[in-house]
Amino acid sequence: MSSFEYAQDDSESQGTVERAVSYLQDHWTEYALITPSIVFLAAVVLYPILETLRLAFYESPRTSTVEVFVGLQNFNEIFSDPFFYQLLWQTFRWVALAVTIKTLLGLLIAVHLNQDIKGRKFFRTAFLIPWGIPYAISAVIFRWIEQPQYGYLNAILLKLGLIDQQIGLLGDPSIAWLGAIAADIWIGTPFMAIIFLAGLQSIPEELYEAAAVDGAYRWVQFRYITIPQLKPVILIATLLSTIWTFVGFDVIWTMTRGGPLDSTATLVIWIYKTGFENGNLGMAAAYSSIGFAILLVFAILYLRIYMQGGEEI
Amino acid sequence: MEQASNIDESSGDVTRRTLMRALGGAGGMIAVAGCTGGGGGDGDSGGGDDSGGGSSGKTVQFLTMGVGDNIKGFFEENNAKFEEENGYKLDFTSVTWDNAQSTLVTRVKGGKAPDVSRLPSRWIPQFQNLEAIDPLDDLMQGEFLDKFYPKVANTTKIDGSYYGVPWAYSNKAFYYNKDVFEEAGLDPENPKLDTWDDVLAAAQKVTENTDTPAYGLPAADRLTTVSQWLPYHWSHGADIINDDGKPAVNSDAGVKGLEFYSSLVTEHKVTQSSPLSSTRHDVRKLFEQGDVAMHIGHVYVGINIEENKTGTNYGIVQMPEGPDGRYSLATTDSMVMYSSAENKDAVKDLLNFYFDTDRRFEYSKKKGFMPVLEEVGNRDYFAEDPLWSPFIEASQYARSRPKLANLSEVTNRLVKAVQEAVSGRKSAEKALNEAQADLEEMIEA
Repeated sequence: MSSFEYAQDDSESQGTVERAVSYLQDHWTEYALITPSIVFLAAVVLYPILETLRLAFYESPRTSTVEVFVGLQNFNEIFSDPFFYQLLWQTFRWVALAVTIKTLLGLLIAVHLNQDIKGRKFFRTAFLIPWGIPYAISAVIFRWIEQPQYGYLNAILLKLGLIDQQIGLLGDPSIAWLGAIAADIWIGTPFMAIIFLAGLQSIPEELYEAAAVDGAYRWVQFRYITIPQLKPVILIATLLSTIWTFVGFDVIWTMTRGGPLDSTATLVIWIYKTGFENGNLGMAAAYSSIGFAILLVFAILYLRIYMQGGEEI
Repeated sequence: MEQASNIDESSGDVTRRTLMRALGGAGGMIAVAGCTGGGGGDGDSGGGDDSGGGSSGKTVQFLTMGVGDNIKGFFEENNAKFEEENGYKLDFTSVTWDNAQSTLVTRVKGGKAPDVSRLPSRWIPQFQNLEAIDPLDDLMQGEFLDKFYPKVANTTKIDGSYYGVPWAYSNKAFYYNKDVFEEAGLDPENPKLDTWDDVLAAAQKVTENTDTPAYGLPAADRLTTVSQWLPYHWSHGADIINDDGKPAVNSDAGVKGLEFYSSLVTEHKVTQSSPLSSTRHDVRKLFEQGDVAMHIGHVYVGINIEENKTGTNYGIVQMPEGPDGRYSLATTDSMVMYSSAENKDAVKDLLNFYFDTDRRFEYSKKKGFMPVLEEVGNRDYFAEDPLWSPFIEASQYARSRPKLANLSEVTNRLVKAVQEAVSGRKSAEKALNEAQADLEEMIEA
């Protein structure tokens, strides 16, 4: 029975409960079919989230089996700790820069791969390689590239005469994060490129032909056809990339463990250190809840602004 | 991927390793200090067969970690012998180091603890806090106790009671590169490296006269950063925790120690480049390859040089002396008995059996660990060997980390203090004062 027919029913005479019951009677198979997935999701997603929120109000040291309810104490400690704001800034800085560069590079690569160039197939495959390697392995490779004694980076810079002695990118608290972000960008760009390429290929050729007839330059075509047509793809890709980058753990952990002097720590690294290294699970849960809230608010706002926004990006 | 040597890397909580694995991190934990690289990839033999606890009086559940090929036969043979001699049945399991802590904590909290297991001694305070393990004073006394190096036995002592029997042991001595010393105009056969000032003088000569960085100093964000700095701290007469159990890192002695340590980087510039991104593993590799002239290391550094034939011509001397004497860092793994064990006599029989001197000799030899029993260390195999003997000697003054249930949190905080001083961002005094304030909060909690 379609909803259209349902709407034709004389529903005025029925109470809400009866209506709901009859609706369920008519649609029970659909609900029966999605029930297992809902149960499964509740178990692996909803329960851990709720448990984390609960734990945030407890003190749960590793050294005892007792959890003590402390109310908002964990949050008070976090918000009154100047380091928390440094951490937020470092996280924001990391996400903003990484996502921006990954998006721009991905777009650039996608536009080029969309041209009719020789060896296009080869390049498409080659560009996917960084994304296919496990993140931690890529991070190790980058750590070696940037290694002060044996790394390529130093060798090349020394040969070019740009530096006169070995530098340790990851050992300098003010620039170590840039050394780590290079790995993240290298890993994350191919995904963006592939998504954008798929988007580009769905743009009708006629649009470009019409624009060409009107005498629009390449840049104008890109600005007024490509970008608006790609908008939904860019929206999803940047949203996903932001979330992944925000919760990205392995690259930073493998390269610097958040150091030196916590200068490369992001919220996720700090949650891990607090909970699993230092054994303060309650405190780590409080940090996690804050991170969860930040992402949730971001995602909602982002989608809203995007959906309402006109042609402009 | 840096292979964290288990013993020297106070690892995190239960799920840390599992999480790393889930994240595709390949950070394996390996049995004992320095057991990395060419040393010993301790494989996993038994897999975590969690058949649960609740052993009957006739069965002893014996859990250990990282039984690799080099030692598998030793256990098979001796376990069979023990069963035959004593009429018990041994339920022997080996888990990987990756899963060791989570397996043990989960089983303890779930009431399914084994009867006896090996574990890094630094976990003892945590398990004692959970009231999961029994003191072993009636075993660790008299003749049995006298067999151990006293400092080694002390690594398992809490509040006057022994909570474990030391099973594996490692300590550190001072390595130097003979060829680089010669090049620097120093005597490679009789290097004057008796005090920290001697070390500095030698380092300055190496820096002046050769292209090789003089001193390997790791200060990356790893717990091992603290392991490398501790001998300086102790030998200047400082402590982490004083006799009353209160933090005491910022004493004048402590400040002097860290001032000297950080001056190697900031003032004298005699270390490898970029100490703040160098892990202990990185520095050890540099020494093994002959790319740094001095390094505090385990016996494994020498073993790796021999095995990998890197051709580095090394010498080993005792740890340099500070104003308060010599100190090396002693790290041990121990056998502990769980409170839930049904047949505690059987566990003690098992321990007595395995701590037979000949068996211990065979174990140390096959495994490449320092002997825990003095008599074993005195046998020619160790005492006369140019590589092993300096470490046997260092056993006399080796000292263990403070016994704290939240050791990793405390160590993490100290890593930061060392980094602040080494990077020159804060004076040693300021870095230690701030660490002291934080430690007071952590330890009173």
